[in-house]
Amino acid sequence: MPASKTPLYEASTQFKNWRYSSQSLAKVRASLNAAAVAVIRNTFEVDEPGSSSALSFLTPDEEILLVRLYVSKIPQLCGFFRFPEEVEATAVSYLKRFYLKNTVMDWHPKNVIVLQSRLTALFLATKTTNNPISLEAYTNNIPKTDPSDVLDLEFLVAQSLGFEFAVWHAHRALWGIWLDLQTVPTAPRDRATTQSEIYDAALRHVRASRLSDAELIYTPSQIALAALSMASAQLATEWAESKFPSGSLSLSTLQSTLGSIKTLIEAASHPVDVERVRGVDLRLKLCKNPEKVVGSKAYLAKKAEEDRKAEEKRNRKVIEVEKAMAEGDPFGDELAGRLVDYDDDDDD
Amino acid sequence: MANRMNWLQGKTVRKNTPAGSHSRSSSTPQVHSTSSTIFGGGVKDPSGRITEYSSDDDQCPVCKSDKYLERKLRLLVSSCYHKMCESCIDRLFTLGPAPCPICNKVLRKLAFTPQTFEDLGVEKEIAIRRRVAKEFNKRLEDFSSLRDFNDYLEDVEDITFNLINDVDPIETESRIAAYREANAALTLLNSQREEAYILSLRQAEELERKEKELRAEEARREEEEERQEKESGRREILERLERADGADAAKVVQRSKRERAEKEASRKGVAPGKGAQALLRARMAAAAATAATKDTPHIPFQDDYYAYNDMFVLQHVYVDPSSEAVRKDREGIMRAGGYRVEEAWERAVRSAVAGLDLLPLDHEIDAFHGMDQGGDVIMSAA
Repeated sequence: MPASKTPLYEASTQFKNWRYSSQSLAKVRASLNAAAVAVIRNTFEVDEPGSSSALSFLTPDEEILLVRLYVSKIPQLCGFFRFPEEVEATAVSYLKRFYLKNTVMDWHPKNVIVLQSRLTALFLATKTTNNPISLEAYTNNIPKTDPSDVLDLEFLVAQSLGFEFAVWHAHRALWGIWLDLQTVPTAPRDRATTQSEIYDAALRHVRASRLSDAELIYTPSQIALAALSMASAQLATEWAESKFPSGSLSLSTLQSTLGSIKTLIEAASHPVDVERVRGVDLRLKLCKNPEKVVGSKAYLAKKAEEDRKAEEKRNRKVIEVEKAMAEGDPFGDELAGRLVDYDDDDDD
Repeated sequence: MANRMNWLQGKTVRKNTPAGSHSRSSSTPQVHSTSSTIFGGGVKDPSGRITEYSSDDDQCPVCKSDKYLERKLRLLVSSCYHKMCESCIDRLFTLGPAPCPICNKVLRKLAFTPQTFEDLGVEKEIAIRRRVAKEFNKRLEDFSSLRDFNDYLEDVEDITFNLINDVDPIETESRIAAYREANAALTLLNSQREEAYILSLRQAEELERKEKELRAEEARREEEEERQEKESGRREILERLERADGADAAKVVQRSKRERAEKEASRKGVAPGKGAQALLRARMAAAAATAATKDTPHIPFQDDYYAYNDMFVLQHVYVDPSSEAVRKDREGIMRAGGYRVEEAWERAVRSAVAGLDLLPLDHEIDAFHGMDQGGDVIMSAA
């Protein structure tokens, strides 16, 4: 590989901003969880002192469990709408990335995706992968859903994703490997048709990998190769050896990487323990950030606070304008000289 | 002045809008003689003509006759901005000034103008602005500071607004009168300046036009000369051939051709026309100008990406059941424009080898995404 050039994958946002090690993933989740718990506990205390001691907040692991459950619901929806695989995979990635920037306790998964309410991540994915569907057609087919449910969160989701919508997928890499296997000199040309059950099995493993954290740690090509090697270890080795000279360093590291991906995929293949999720979900209802629950005391308090701030800001502006009118030229004096606060955003 | 006389010569364009529609741009303008009515005002287009507004829904508010009953119905606008038809105007105002049948303001026949805009409010505003601009023509140079000039402009805008919306008209008129008295000399001077400027513009235009004509004339003359030259050359060759008795015809033709080429060259080289010289100079100046601002050579966007091209060899065709349907579809019903399955294959194969040898992040190197922002990310998302 020429040293001066950036490889295409390493130029992607997926590589730059969404690549973690398993340790850093755990750390991110733990810190998110800790911060959320602190804030929510505080809100409860302000609301009613002592009320938070009775609550048991979710642990990071329990949060992952919930996210995984709702990720697993996306394929059902995609099957219903007959969305292509690309949309499904993209929506899953979006949801996972979203919950690396937000916590379940702030946004219940049901609010972001799945079943009755917000399907924003999936809707966003249909648009970013060029499979657009009209909002009405989308929400009309999902019971008890309004277009506004989807749109309310759309910007927040996009913002959490850092507006980085392009995702490299493992299923495409798997297709590529399957095609490229035909160039291996010893391979029979018609392998693609005669051994298609291997491809199907590998594709199933790729789909299972979506429930795991694999895509946040490994590259799509590695995941695809691991899935293939689970379906047929011999084919995978054959292909990997055609790419790297046998006995080379990269080949051995690749082998160990594939091994850890396989464990991840195997772990993800087990269905989620529904009973346990139900228990977690029940507890979540109790410890959801009250500021986000419409009608609660904390919600009203937050609204009032926001209104007060906006009012204050308006007053400040009026005073400033009056002052400017009184003491100087309403058209402004010189451009330079006076320091003007141009920051008119609503972020303070 | 010539422009101002147009209405006397009856150069007015009429526009007919089809019934129901009020768009003013759909129909072709037609020129009508307007010698029966005398008017001034309206808005002139650059060629100095007045494009008149009329629609099939027109109805005279005085006599209630409309386009349906009277094809020639034409509505004019009074100085109090009420419309009435020409026959009503003739009937009411031929014997001298009379009150407007709608608002009782005393009007004269001469004060009726053609309608330019569908909305009479616009008509009124334009007329008022024209009037105000004539009175208030001070310039930035007439003020000591920009601030004063801005104040003055604001005053003018106030007055204009009052006039347009009839806000205390008496006071406004007295303000205008006071201003007129105070600045009579300056106003006159400025209007003279304005006229002089317009005159100079017009002269420059005229000069340019004449020059163009001159050049065209010269080109025509040169062409004619050349044609004559050719004609005489041919005649000469014929004469010589007659004399040379056809023995060495080719030689004769060649010689006379050479002679003619020489003559032409000498004519062009020795006495180029005055216009041609000027043209040459202009061209040289232009060339010098472009040479002075020489462009840096254009460098197309060069992406320095490594696309793993040494990791795979793309085949011309693959055995690929999943894309079979698309490939068999000759009419392209399943494909978007420009889709080629080869490109899809290439993308897939490329992503199969992309980042294959990348090591997963180790915990030490892990410069950590979002540890420090982690806390505020969730809450700012609210």
